[in-house]
Amino acid sequence: MESNATTSRLTAIALSFMAVIWVSPFSWLILNAFNPMSTGQLEIPKSIGLDNFALAVSGNAGRQFLNSLLIAAGTATLSVVVGISAAYPLSRLRIPGRNAFLWTLVLLRMLPSAGVLVPLYFAAQRGGLLNQFGVIIALTILNLPFTLLLLKNFFDTVPIELEEAAYVEGATLFQIVTRIVLPMSRAGIAVVWFFSFTGAWNEFLLPLIFSRVQDGFPMSVGLYAAFGQQGAINYGFLTAFSIIYAAPAVGVYFLLRRNMNTGFAGVGVKG
Amino acid sequence: MKNQANPWLTSNLLVLGLGMLPAALLIAALLYFTAWAFAFSFTDLALVGTKAVDWSWVGFQNFERLFTRRGFLESLWTTVIFVFFSALVGQSVLGFLLAATLRGTASRLKSVIEVCIMLGWLLPDIVAAFLWSATTSQTGLINAIFVRPFGLPPINFINDYALPIVIIANIWKGTAWSYLLFSAALDSVSREVVEAAKVDGATPFQRIWLVQLPIIRPHIATNMLFITIWTFTYFPLIYAMTGGGPGRQTETLAVFLYNQSFARGNLGFGSAISVAMLVIVGLLSLVYLRMLREPK
Repeated sequence: MESNATTSRLTAIALSFMAVIWVSPFSWLILNAFNPMSTGQLEIPKSIGLDNFALAVSGNAGRQFLNSLLIAAGTATLSVVVGISAAYPLSRLRIPGRNAFLWTLVLLRMLPSAGVLVPLYFAAQRGGLLNQFGVIIALTILNLPFTLLLLKNFFDTVPIELEEAAYVEGATLFQIVTRIVLPMSRAGIAVVWFFSFTGAWNEFLLPLIFSRVQDGFPMSVGLYAAFGQQGAINYGFLTAFSIIYAAPAVGVYFLLRRNMNTGFAGVGVKG
Repeated sequence: MKNQANPWLTSNLLVLGLGMLPAALLIAALLYFTAWAFAFSFTDLALVGTKAVDWSWVGFQNFERLFTRRGFLESLWTTVIFVFFSALVGQSVLGFLLAATLRGTASRLKSVIEVCIMLGWLLPDIVAAFLWSATTSQTGLINAIFVRPFGLPPINFINDYALPIVIIANIWKGTAWSYLLFSAALDSVSREVVEAAKVDGATPFQRIWLVQLPIIRPHIATNMLFITIWTFTYFPLIYAMTGGGPGRQTETLAVFLYNQSFARGNLGFGSAISVAMLVIVGLLSLVYLRMLREPK
């Protein structure tokens, strides 16, 4: 018993130590972001202020925030809408060739965006879509196999008897879907929306290639362009900008955390 | 399974079919783009200049270049090292150890650690790259704690140890995924089995190695394959930290592809690199399909 307690205390100490190591890189970020006189050095600020954050939400930086929001929310919503309207029939109807189609999706899900980068660029250039809307459509296309499979799996778990009962009561197809199927797979839809949102919010490669003008940069490209510059780098601004850029993805996760954990097992373990 | 005689479905086949149309079109586009990548790889198409409009078919020339010129094979090797150490050794082993250790510990400590490692995972790639560039710079945290107090000159880690630093950054970023997956898998192992082993006198190590590990082996295999494929094509973190340099030390295939296609403008050759990546990922995916089909 004695040795057991010692072991668990040692484990706890080791784990706490690891947690400290894990978050230690953030120290620099926080120290500089709240230091109005930031120089990019690792030092305790002499004064604390929010000047950097004021800078990081105005002008160009503010526009980049809106661009990122447009791309992320647009991709997530488009993926979920297109996904739902196809996943419900896929789940309920016995369409010829359905299984072949599902296996194709499983394979396509693994397709790296790098593999179709050049054709995507070309198609967008031809269609005049080298802008945020092009990014939204491209990301939705790349997302769709994953979205479809996941939504179909969630719809499969909704008992069809409920739909039968609703039909007997005189409900239309639209009512059945919006009043029964969607509410019952709410958690799953939230997971899909979150995955698409954060994926698009973080996306760097496609906007890097698709954004021709600085006005169209999302935050990822904006941040990259700013810290790639040689010479006078405003570290205070960049660190504050990074925190603002990271906040939505982190925030949405903790908001949806309970839903996420139910959804996660299904995401990774099964196809 | 579901019978076809559900009247609210059969009387609305047209609506349901129309609902599937957008998704079908987008999936068709994805297949079409894949085929297009194959076609481009046999041309000398360029991003700008005359070759952008007036390109021609060059047969297998691009693929010959993959194997005869410097670049591709080195990148492939860099990618293999990057994937092996960051995904398989780093994320998977660390994620499993954490999941196994945290399973029995107090819930408070557990949620603190979960939040800590999730922060790395949730952080956008470019912010993570920025953070790690700063942490490993000459005035950064690692030098401030481990080098300068001993009177040594500060080390420019990102220049001198580029690949190891990128690997560590990726472990830091990706471990949460493996952890979540392995926790979910370990939760599915019934407590009775573990208790029975305990009663029989198995040490904690034996309980993990001989009892729990074999039970969750399918999950381990799936996870390994997933993170191998993802890490194999991972671009933003490396590109933003090093751009593939110094020299070509951290030029993984994804970075090589980007540099060739969009920095140098050789879209034809870039497509050949894409095709090579697609073939490798395709082979790995086939392994995955077989695992899914096998009865567990």
